[in-house]
Amino acid sequence: MNRLLLSVAMVFSTFLVSIGQGAYQIRVNPSELTLKVDEVKTIQAVVVDDQESYVTSREILYFGTPEVSVDSLGNVTAHRPGEHQIIIISPDPQGAVLRTSYLVKVEYPPLSRIEIREMPQKIYSGTTFPVAIEVFDEKGFQREDITVVLTSSDPEIIDFDELHNLSALKPGNCVIQATAQGISTSMTLTVVKNPVVDLKISADKQQARTGDVIQIRGQAFDDKGNEVVDIPLFYSFEGRSFDISSSAGGLIKQDGRFVAEVPGHYQVAVNSGSKAARLSLKILPRNVARNIEVVGSGVVSDKHTSDLWIWEGVDGRDYAVTGTWGADGTAYFWDVTDPANIERVDSIQVDARTVNDVKVSADGKICVISREGASNRKNGIVILDVTNPREVKTISTFTENLTGGVHNLFIYQNHVYALSGGQKYYVIDIKNPAQPEIVGKFELDTPGHAIHDVWVTDGIAYSSNWQDGVQLVDVGNGIAGGSPSNPVQFAAYKYPSGAHHATFPFTSPSTGKFYTVLGDEIFPYGLNTNGPNMAGGFLHFVDFTDLDHPEEVARYELPGAGSHNFWIEDETLYVAYYNGGVRVVDISGELMGDLYRQGREIAFIIPSDPKAYIANSPFTWGAQLHKGHIFYSDWNSGLWSAKLAPVTPDETKIETD
Amino acid sequence: MKRAIYILVIAMMVTGTLHAQNYFVYVAAESEDEVSVVQFNGTEAKSILDIPVGVWPAEIEGPHGITIGPNGKYWYLTLAHGNPFGTLYKYSTETNEPVGKTTLGLFPATMQISKTTGLLYCVNFNLHGDMVPSTVSVVDPETMTELKRITTGAMPHGSRISPDGTKHYSVAMMSGELFEIDALRLNVSRVLMLDEKAEEAHANHAGHGAHGSSPMQHEGMKHSLVKPTWVIPHPQWNKLYVAGNGSNQVLEVDLDKWEVTNRFPTGKGPYNVEVSPDGEKMVVTYKSEGATGIWDLQSGKEIGRITNSRKVSHGIAITPDSKYAFVSVEGIGGEPGAVDVIDLQKLNLVASADVGKQAGGIGFWKMDQ
Repeated sequence: MNRLLLSVAMVFSTFLVSIGQGAYQIRVNPSELTLKVDEVKTIQAVVVDDQESYVTSREILYFGTPEVSVDSLGNVTAHRPGEHQIIIISPDPQGAVLRTSYLVKVEYPPLSRIEIREMPQKIYSGTTFPVAIEVFDEKGFQREDITVVLTSSDPEIIDFDELHNLSALKPGNCVIQATAQGISTSMTLTVVKNPVVDLKISADKQQARTGDVIQIRGQAFDDKGNEVVDIPLFYSFEGRSFDISSSAGGLIKQDGRFVAEVPGHYQVAVNSGSKAARLSLKILPRNVARNIEVVGSGVVSDKHTSDLWIWEGVDGRDYAVTGTWGADGTAYFWDVTDPANIERVDSIQVDARTVNDVKVSADGKICVISREGASNRKNGIVILDVTNPREVKTISTFTENLTGGVHNLFIYQNHVYALSGGQKYYVIDIKNPAQPEIVGKFELDTPGHAIHDVWVTDGIAYSSNWQDGVQLVDVGNGIAGGSPSNPVQFAAYKYPSGAHHATFPFTSPSTGKFYTVLGDEIFPYGLNTNGPNMAGGFLHFVDFTDLDHPEEVARYELPGAGSHNFWIEDETLYVAYYNGGVRVVDISGELMGDLYRQGREIAFIIPSDPKAYIANSPFTWGAQLHKGHIFYSDWNSGLWSAKLAPVTPDETKIETD
Repeated sequence: MKRAIYILVIAMMVTGTLHAQNYFVYVAAESEDEVSVVQFNGTEAKSILDIPVGVWPAEIEGPHGITIGPNGKYWYLTLAHGNPFGTLYKYSTETNEPVGKTTLGLFPATMQISKTTGLLYCVNFNLHGDMVPSTVSVVDPETMTELKRITTGAMPHGSRISPDGTKHYSVAMMSGELFEIDALRLNVSRVLMLDEKAEEAHANHAGHGAHGSSPMQHEGMKHSLVKPTWVIPHPQWNKLYVAGNGSNQVLEVDLDKWEVTNRFPTGKGPYNVEVSPDGEKMVVTYKSEGATGIWDLQSGKEIGRITNSRKVSHGIAITPDSKYAFVSVEGIGGEPGAVDVIDLQKLNLVASADVGKQAGGIGFWKMDQ
């Protein structure tokens, strides 16, 4: 009987402990912690039971973050301002682990200085311009979160609005002061008499089409007829659309360049103080639209299709290769000599689930396909002999350093530029395609760098590096002494969204300007595995004429769809726009502003097919112009060809001087 | 007669109970961007739910590792591919909707949560080519905050926690090392070279690089012959077992001596290893021959080798009652993946369910009636 009681007591005891552990909690002293950057304070965490008594048998572990670190003794060090949490855990091998998140507030450092930047040498009365102000804290960080108040010792001479625009109202001396959080800086300014008595405005043309860039020129003159060249001029416009249902939009830059989006009558103006001059412009429709018709198709309805490449074979006929996605590692070869009768002539299956990219050498003899999802996880590339595309042969498989998967590649002058694991590309010599050899690689050293694509032309590799933008790398051009074995980066451009996915370089025949066209890849609407998907993102046109000062000047954005791969020939862009199909866009002349709204779209075609892998779900992957036909691959339906109708004479009359 | 009827009724009840037992696993299909819930009722296995994962329709994001939290309320999934870093997702088992995520390292793979610390430990496999040391990420699964990355070896894989929850074990596939991490202090406490002779590993590495000037060479980095891909501590004994994928062995490591005490020859390409909760059997997938080996740990003998339903055998989840092993099988190319159910008493394949392509990570969820 005693043994039974003892057993019951033991079970009960265990039960009690179990109940008690359920009531255990972590208590932290102090209950709140506020630190300055680099300050260290100690916290103490303990485990208490439901009577608030210490449970001394329980261990305490502290875990910090990069923003606030904590050692095993509870010494907390603040590294970055803001509100952060450290994790406190009391482990328990029986699984009754206790944890709590402890809030640490790290105060922003006090401000140390305010700087007023880029003030003009001479300030004319009657002019207005923005004042640039920078604020720094005691840790040397520039602060964007501070409200700065600008005041003037004499608001009748100089006054400010809330956006820090300075208005010089009349001649005289004045002290301006910038103040924030108890610190300030001041500057004495002199406003001089505005000598301008006359403003003139002119333009390089007064009639143009939508999308044409017009150069406006404003000139200020004094009472002696001399031009005043250092006075600020402000350009603006207003317009009235020919179509009363439309608004007259456009863009004017403060160097005087103007572009209109909608046909109509516009007035551009230049102002300086109380003086103004205006000029009327007539903007006509661009009238570039052309008919487009489907010519043929090579249907792939049992799996997703990825990229394409079209080339003239060594036999003089025309061929295409298409990859497949999330499937069985097949690439298809097509005879497209007659684009109306696309014929599948061969296929090859490799150990992969996705053949994302396919490229063919300039001589039409070598095809290289990428592998992802190989069963042995070695992935890499497969080099094929396509001398006879009706009998494609595997020459070699190359996986060295490419085991993470090759998403995209390019062939240029006996070298393959192959992405590796989304971080870098290797340069692989294929002079002997049976024995490829790595000779170089390019990788950034920025935190979290990544890559999606590489395109090589004229000895320059253009890699699309997501948040690091486009990287221009000399791989034999000579501009920076680079070679395939010694790639040398010499220029770059990145934009805030960090969605940079594909690049096509473009030298405008009509202007001589050199652009890189940078495509986004964004899926803001999530994933639909069984139905139509929608993409987002657009093409960024970056004027790279001055390699040291690239400027993003224009965009092509199709509402409700997103850009993917694209091709430029002459002054026409062919862009696969996922659910938006193929868009053909006029990119002639200087490019500025919103190209879509400027009516530059020549044609579009959407490859919808009820028999597609996902029926009636266009998701166009890539487009390429070849011998006058547009070939394009669609994720759900395969390979297509289309042709633009001939250009019809433009009846629009543009009057010129 | 009454006694016989009574026995019959009891037997029927017991049998009925057994037949009514359902087992559930989650399995990730790496080349399908899909996770499936597979149910096995004692005779038949089937996928009862396919859950699309990832957010990019036109990119394979590669769900690789999967584990279910100790309380069964959440499952955790690593997506291997990102820009460039992979992602750890937290899903509700009730809704199978994501409830949290955090970015980890390159190609985050296998993981487990310690019942003692409540923290999640995930290896960053970094299958991206260069043979450089990678890391183990430690995550607070409550807030999905990465607390620390602990540097280990080249291509770390097989992330398993000791039975008492205080140690984390992983192996570095290319550098041939076994790492023990103090799961409380979050630092490497011990490292064991798994190759029989260190010089063999070096010699192999020297012969591997065909390109003398290749930028992929890393001075001092070993290239293991063993190529360990998995490690599992025994639930009762002070031992653990390592899959020697390159040497066709399972290595037994004595945790007290911290040395390899046995090397069991296995089928070709052992990849994952699990030990049944009762501690009696070891299950090993032979990736290169599409088979699964069942070992009796007392005798150290392989007592069964079951051909899987497809090629490329991958992961293992053993039921808490030690009766069944669920084995994920990748397949090749366009083949669907599969989950094979192996009876650990009868040593045969009792059921199989098709899932998405390249089925890999697998985690046991629950049993119910």
